[in-house]
Amino acid sequence: MSKKLLLVAASLGLALLTACAIISPEASFARTHPEKLGAGRPTCSECHGTEAVKSTQKTFAALDHTAAFVKDHKVQASQDSATCASCHAQSFCSDCHGGKTVMTPSTKLGNRPDREMPHRAGYLTMHRIEGKIDPTGCYKCHGRANNEKCSACHK
Amino acid sequence: MKHRTHVALLAVLVSGAAWGQDVSVYSTTIAQMWKSDIPGFDKTATYTPATEFLGIDANKLGTDALSLHLYGWGRTDLKDQSAIGGKTAGDLTYGYLQYAFDRANAQVKAGRFTINQGVGNEMVDGVYAYTDLLDGWNVTAFAGKPVVYKNLGNVPQASISFQRDYTFGTRLGYRIKRMGEIGLSYLQDGSTPAMDLPIPETLDFTRRQLGADLSLAPCSFIDVTGRTVFDVSRRQQAEHSTRIAESDYRVGVKIMDGLRFNGSFTDRDFLYYYTGSTLPNLFDMNERGKFKAVGGNLTWTAVANLQLVADVRRTNRDEYGTATRAGLDARYNLAAQHVLAGVGYHKVNAFNVALVDSTTPSHSLSHSEARAWVMAERGAFSASLDAIRLHYSGASTNPNLIGKSIESQLVGSVGYQANEGLKVSADLSYADTPLYKKQAMGLVRIEYRFGFAAKGGK
Repeated sequence: MSKKLLLVAASLGLALLTACAIISPEASFARTHPEKLGAGRPTCSECHGTEAVKSTQKTFAALDHTAAFVKDHKVQASQDSATCASCHAQSFCSDCHGGKTVMTPSTKLGNRPDREMPHRAGYLTMHRIEGKIDPTGCYKCHGRANNEKCSACHK
Repeated sequence: MKHRTHVALLAVLVSGAAWGQDVSVYSTTIAQMWKSDIPGFDKTATYTPATEFLGIDANKLGTDALSLHLYGWGRTDLKDQSAIGGKTAGDLTYGYLQYAFDRANAQVKAGRFTINQGVGNEMVDGVYAYTDLLDGWNVTAFAGKPVVYKNLGNVPQASISFQRDYTFGTRLGYRIKRMGEIGLSYLQDGSTPAMDLPIPETLDFTRRQLGADLSLAPCSFIDVTGRTVFDVSRRQQAEHSTRIAESDYRVGVKIMDGLRFNGSFTDRDFLYYYTGSTLPNLFDMNERGKFKAVGGNLTWTAVANLQLVADVRRTNRDEYGTATRAGLDARYNLAAQHVLAGVGYHKVNAFNVALVDSTTPSHSLSHSEARAWVMAERGAFSASLDAIRLHYSGASTNPNLIGKSIESQLVGSVGYQANEGLKVSADLSYADTPLYKKQAMGLVRIEYRFGFAAKGGK
């Protein structure tokens, strides 16, 4: 694709974005949660009930931080990043989802066992087992980035 | 991007933060020390890396809508080299300017950022834009250069960089009133597939993917989320294949107050799922077959502060066989006493996973995992204890386990919150594993926060 075409597409996109932002009747989602949350995983629907999250049309219950949500939140994070951002800074995501990491998440947050971070000290043994049972689980993070350590052995 | 350009850009961005009327700085300094007893490695080595994580969020840069976000880390080894690649390392995880409009959730980002939309889950040096449209529609688009990491394997780095010259993607979403959202997305990473190079190469690092995602709650007690990803590159197609790289869905059902069921289904086709892998010797782009998983969990909030979860997941990898993981977890949150605790036990039955190499026709990968942890706070002091014990069934036949069936690790941590912005903590861990015969590790962590820093997932 030529650079001119990309430039035109980018300009059109920016113009569309500005126009939508000006004419839209909907105010943007709150950038910060107005109240401080307690310790532990929040259950959004406890306070918000069955109402829908403003501007996303989903119930707050769909965002309750249940055990299942914590383990698999990719669709919600993909569709509702503005909602996530009202409580979580981008660095919270980077604790696990960095392109290149310097230590395992469980080492960095060794004082937070409640977050159940992956890859504990003994994981080097376990990865030989889990990697055979489900290598697609490894691929999600190590398939295209952050694989410098993997390639030391898997040449 | 050249190294000097990186440094210049970073200097401009950091100095730009000074314009912010609402600046948060968060720093975590971690000093570690450990010794390992790994067969074949130097037992006398002492590893003492010092690592600094630094983040800056500068809001209201001249206008309420403009903000700057930076996060990265640097590491240096004070004694023996602790990691592959050298005694020093670092990375800019993200660094971008963001303009967030007051209406329509519209925002523009420019710089290095992580994009997570539909099929795109990428690190990009470029621009990103999102806006809600009228009548429930919304659109996302991004373009730029993919962040390419150094690969130390046998894959030619220059080839990866050449093929992955730019990336772009878009997603069109539609929100159904009081029900949820569906979306269609497209991703292209790289413009020159290996087969189109002047001298065609065998390893293709480019990707073209189309995705459909949904998150729907048709009534207050059922919700469905998931996505399907198609490989739409011109890459070789397997016979009778649909080009579906991944189908991954979850359904949640609220059975009654405090009792919830989640079911999940995953189907991945290796040939398409691994497209663009920069570690093809591990994630073989030519591997045939599928990975499938079906699972479910039942979450019961027995009383307000006690949650019990029972889960089971059966997986199948065509080439190797089936495995079943099942177990129980309990979490206890005594908020008034500032105590959080959890216990769990899981058993993995993987007797039917046949493997493996030319000398071992098969061995069991079955094991069990028991875990217990507790965290407590008293005034400015905090402490945590985390213990895990694994029992491997196939220790006598699995060469990876070196005849050892038990693996255990204990991590203890104590912390002191000196003031609102400063916390010091120290961890001690001891592990006895088949691979690391013994590993003792000490860690000191200094966390510093300056500014309003309301976010951060504390």
